[in-house]
Amino acid sequence: MNGWLGILLQIFLIITAIAVVFHKNHFTIIILMSVFSLIAATLYMINQAPDVAIAEVAINAAIIPLIYVIAISRQRELIVYDKLQHGAIDPQQPLVGEIYQYLEDFSNKHKLKLNICCDLVGNDQTVVRDLNVDILVDLDAKQKQYILKGKSSNVLMKKMMKDLKGKTNVRFEMIEEGENLD
Amino acid sequence: MIRRLFALPLLLGLFLIFAIALLDYQTLYQDSARVFYQTYGYLQTGSLNLVTAIYLDYRLLDTLFEAGILLIAVTGVSWIAQHDNVEHNPLFMLDRFKIPELFVSLARIIYPIVLLFGIYVVFNGHLAPGGGFQGGAILATALLILYYIDLKKKTNLQRIFTIEKWLYLLLVGISMISFFTRGVWFTNFIPLEGDLLLKSIFLITLNLIIGAKVALGLTAIFIAFLKEGR
Repeated sequence: MNGWLGILLQIFLIITAIAVVFHKNHFTIIILMSVFSLIAATLYMINQAPDVAIAEVAINAAIIPLIYVIAISRQRELIVYDKLQHGAIDPQQPLVGEIYQYLEDFSNKHKLKLNICCDLVGNDQTVVRDLNVDILVDLDAKQKQYILKGKSSNVLMKKMMKDLKGKTNVRFEMIEEGENLD
Repeated sequence: MIRRLFALPLLLGLFLIFAIALLDYQTLYQDSARVFYQTYGYLQTGSLNLVTAIYLDYRLLDTLFEAGILLIAVTGVSWIAQHDNVEHNPLFMLDRFKIPELFVSLARIIYPIVLLFGIYVVFNGHLAPGGGFQGGAILATALLILYYIDLKKKTNLQRIFTIEKWLYLLLVGISMISFFTRGVWFTNFIPLEGDLLLKSIFLITLNLIIGAKVALGLTAIFIAFLKEGR
């Protein structure tokens, strides 16, 4: 390692790596990871490996963070499939009903982005499995109860059951996962 | 706890091995390969960049397998992320998926520059640091920025896979021509004593194909991630 610049950069590299491990906010971690790979690319450049440095910058400082941003913003969403067809005609129509209040409270409590959609095609099982829908909302007209369906292994579903335990107008139903080939 | 205690002697052993290797550096160090590539690399392959000389001429077979591994990885990701049911309205998530205005306006300025730089790196792979893989990754970055600018952009994934498969076949085909012109598998098809400028035709062609393949492959992986969960 040539001179003081290399040693300084190596110290920064270690500091960034420790910061990546101990930081809590996901998006800050992504930025720190790209900082890490930029420092690593500079070190490659100092050690006369410009080809590796270009590949490092292009892959680890640009493409991987872009993919992580997409993956993490998917993680922070509560996706609800609304079978009551609210907002199917006019998407801007305000959603009125007790169940939407519950869902909003729940997503605010756990800092999730609420995403209610009503234009999916397919039966319950395929929607839950293939489109990553967390909760399906349905109405039981006879008993005047809302039915919330979800995968039995879904973490958000379990948390929601805990939160809405005392409510009488909500009923939970589990969709069992079938045998999966993969 | 026991596992951590077990890791300590392992680390110490590794440190010892590296320390011994460092002490024997003078006996282990051999620069015959470096001397060979520095003397004959440019004259035999026509590539000023010795890295390109190695991965597109001396060790072309390794490059072919590397390209194959990328193809297999892309196919695997797409197979895991495939959907059975019809996407009635695939845009239902996008209106709530907000992207900062600053990012979008900066990306619009940067996009053509990144595209140009990627093409430059691909074309100059045999003259300056860079090459097919690096240039392809830069091109893929430019294409990914496009998806952030225009979220409603639709892409036919199937067509991307088809193009990539044909590009891989083309890569193998072009590198096999050398058997008919020189009698050697997987190397430059211009004879060894041929003109250096003619030899760079082969290098530019292979760099272009590899660049296109890498750009398309990384974009396909990104689109698979983008579609997952819609």
